[in-house]
Amino acid sequence: MRSVLPPARLEVRRGPLLLSGVDDGPSLAAHRARFGPLPTPDLAHLVDLVESAAVRGRGGAGFPLARKLRTVARGRGRLPSRRPVVVVNAAEGEPVSAKDEALVSVAPHLVLDGAEVAARALGARDVHVVTSADRPLVGRAVAQALAERRGDGLRWSTHEAEGRFVAGQARAVLELMDGRPGLPVTAWSPEAVDGHRGRPTLLSNAESWAHLGALVHVGGAAYARLGTPDEPGTMLLTVTRPPGPDGRIALAGVVEVEHGSRARDVLDADALAAPLLVGGFHGTWVHPSALRDLAWSQPHLRSLGASLGAGALVSLADGSCPVGHTAAWTEFLAVESAGRCGPCRNGLPALARATDGLARRVDTRPRIRELTGLVTGRGACAHPDGTARLVGSMLTALPDHVEDHLTGACRCGVRVPAVVA
Amino acid sequence: MSAASERVGGAPAGTLRVDWPECRARGLCAELLPERIVLDEWGYPVVLGPVRDDELGLAREAALACPRRALHLVKD
Repeated sequence: MRSVLPPARLEVRRGPLLLSGVDDGPSLAAHRARFGPLPTPDLAHLVDLVESAAVRGRGGAGFPLARKLRTVARGRGRLPSRRPVVVVNAAEGEPVSAKDEALVSVAPHLVLDGAEVAARALGARDVHVVTSADRPLVGRAVAQALAERRGDGLRWSTHEAEGRFVAGQARAVLELMDGRPGLPVTAWSPEAVDGHRGRPTLLSNAESWAHLGALVHVGGAAYARLGTPDEPGTMLLTVTRPPGPDGRIALAGVVEVEHGSRARDVLDADALAAPLLVGGFHGTWVHPSALRDLAWSQPHLRSLGASLGAGALVSLADGSCPVGHTAAWTEFLAVESAGRCGPCRNGLPALARATDGLARRVDTRPRIRELTGLVTGRGACAHPDGTARLVGSMLTALPDHVEDHLTGACRCGVRVPAVVA
Repeated sequence: MSAASERVGGAPAGTLRVDWPECRARGLCAELLPERIVLDEWGYPVVLGPVRDDELGLAREAALACPRRALHLVKD
């Protein structure tokens, strides 16, 4: 059984905003020295600020944060059963992503400030922080940071999700908070409307909260000095090379980049000449020819049929073959299915077999296309959609690599990363 | 919507949604509404497009017939 594990080592580079305090240490004192006391904007001011800065969620979906804030605010009532809830989602289920781990380890109080500011503006009393069991340092960093903060009318709770790929999905997190298995369930309305115990719940990724925190600390003008007019601010990227046969990613680099800045400022010459997976295992392949001019901008990525997602990048700079890797990762994703939805439970293993066939030089492309169409949109969460996106993008973005592999022109020697017997 | 669909059976009036963790591929929905629901190779329903005006009655029946209450008709 294959498994892909989070990176063994992280290298976190100092950045212009979120990662500006990398060398200060994670203490509250260091954080306050750099960013100042906790701001107390009222709700209207906060929504304005977040809207003008066009802050989008950093968990992968890119949902506008101001809209979420408004929705939660609208659903509030005075009864305890209508009091809103704030959730910090730091359960980074994507093994090739380490930006939340890095952020929480380096600047936990920026994340927690963001959550606290929103909680106070919304009149929420409960703030929940969720981390993953397979990144125990993150849980520890959260506990240490919370111990330094004063409660002051807020109830902070922490939760540890299983180290599973789908455990960081929004509804899976809410299930965990309710004491049930942390796996996705069908949602008939967004959690901002009907979330934890039916209450309006503002659940966002740890980095989203850090952006909100940084925004209220430095102000809209300073925040917008970074990035572009259409996409103000920065984003965190995780840069890795593929995991080895043991499933381990040796090293992940986490870097903060301004929106609109060029990939060539982050990727070395080898990486610029090789296929790049953008958006982690639910992301899309980008052809090397597009990398020279690639910019960290969502509209730009979309024009290439790709998406920034949660900013996890895997470069095949080592010269390895995208077909072999895609096959290995599809099997991983099939195993990681919660197994609750028929099309996913059946379709992903079938897709893994078809992709493995392709890796063994059988032209299974028609079957792959059939299966990616069959699993998309037919599950309680986006796991089948993301998997289909990964495999489909291999066919549409790297058709020459696929052809080369099928004809044997690719030098990869059909060595699909070994199955552990 | 196109003029053709309005001639044939009316404008789109609803959407059939499957509660996937509940569905056990019993297949009653596809039997009751074969023009709108077909079964994939594993027996799970594939919903083909929105429900038209003239299909609302049958769609409602299909939703009621599901032994798992896994089929929901959401009116537009």
